[in-house]
Amino acid sequence: MEQIALTINDRQLSASSGMTILEVAKENSIDIPALCYRQELSPIGACRICVVEVERSETLVGSCHTPIAQGMVIHTHSKKVLQVRKTMVELLLASHCGNCFMCDKANICELRSIATDLEVGLPRFQVKKRYYPVEDASPFIVRDLTKCILCRRCVSACNEIKKEKVFGIAYRGFDSKVVVDFDQPIDKDVCRDCDVCISFCPTGALSKHGEIGEEKKGEPLIISG
Amino acid sequence: MNKINGEIYMQNKEQKELLVRLGEAQNKFGYLSEKVMIELAESLDMSISDVYGVATFYSFFSIRPQGRNIIRICKSVPCFLKNSQVIIETVEKEIGIKPGETTPNGKFSFHLTNCIGVCDKAPAMMINSEVYIDLTPNKISQILKAHK
Ligand code: SF4
Ligand code: SF4
Ligand code: FES
Ligand code: FES
Repeated sequence: MEQIALTINDRQLSASSGMTILEVAKENSIDIPALCYRQELSPIGACRICVVEVERSETLVGSCHTPIAQGMVIHTHSKKVLQVRKTMVELLLASHCGNCFMCDKANICELRSIATDLEVGLPRFQVKKRYYPVEDASPFIVRDLTKCILCRRCVSACNEIKKEKVFGIAYRGFDSKVVVDFDQPIDKDVCRDCDVCISFCPTGALSKHGEIGEEKKGEPLIISG
Repeated sequence: MNKINGEIYMQNKEQKELLVRLGEAQNKFGYLSEKVMIELAESLDMSISDVYGVATFYSFFSIRPQGRNIIRICKSVPCFLKNSQVIIETVEKEIGIKPGETTPNGKFSFHLTNCIGVCDKAPAMMINSEVYIDLTPNKISQILKAHK
């Protein structure tokens, strides 16, 4: 496989062609936060938390889905990158239901964890929030889409790992939503003995029945800034 | 690695076929019933949620029966800057329904849509496949009267 020479944060590196910027960074212990990306899934590119600066590129690029190229010069933590990343998290938090104190997953939530690392503080934006009823008809899974950030991991995980196609994305813009069939509350037999999507959800949107309390045991995540 | 290109391409192929078939069904029946969507999902080996997702993404597909005439007013920014809000309100008053609704007599359905490509002649709307441009509140009642 062809070797590609590139620079990340002033370090000269070499990696195989076809790798993404994020993969190369990881291999070299450079930490780029990612929310929709998971190693086990093909890149989704929905959340924009993983953006980095590539010299001579007009815009920031998503590192989780951008393949490396010969001579690329990349900055993963420049001022511009950090500012954009922070704003992205703020926007996610702003339209998210926001009441982390009431959430059983508060201390193991990846969204909150990234918000903590980036010190985003209280969201500056007052935007419309999405509220949906909790779906608990299925004995195997509870969905609370008010907490969903539309990262699409559950869609991909069910598809690529479980090899089922329970979820799809419907509507558009602000109304976008992860739906089951004709936008019905989730209640599928294939979910028996499967927590694949639950284990991939970065927020408290997907959980099992009766988990209450169990997961509040993590270290408290306090968002300063 | 490299699965990026492969898989996205596969999806596009399925979805292109789906778009064509949804368009045909929409033209034939005037809307996309659950029955039609289930049939399409089966014949294209897709999930119902994916078919429903595409059907609800495009504003020119409807998943509910529509009135005889479909009014679509553009809600994108150029039309907005040319006061599309007033046009929307005028139509609401004339036919007595809000966007997303159908008149009880089945004469009109009314929707807001994204840019219809005539921004230089904003504000604009469509009734069925006919485009109306440079709208003012005065023009509306006349245009509506021409539809039975
Ligand atoms: S529980 Fe398993 S089968 Fe059910 S939606 Fe989640 S991943 Fe798919
Ligand atoms: S339910 Fe969870 S995994 Fe699925 S899109 Fe929402 S936040 Fe992501
Ligand atoms: S992690 Fe790259 S876009 Fe979400
Ligand atoms: S913005 Fe209304 S037609 Fe383009």
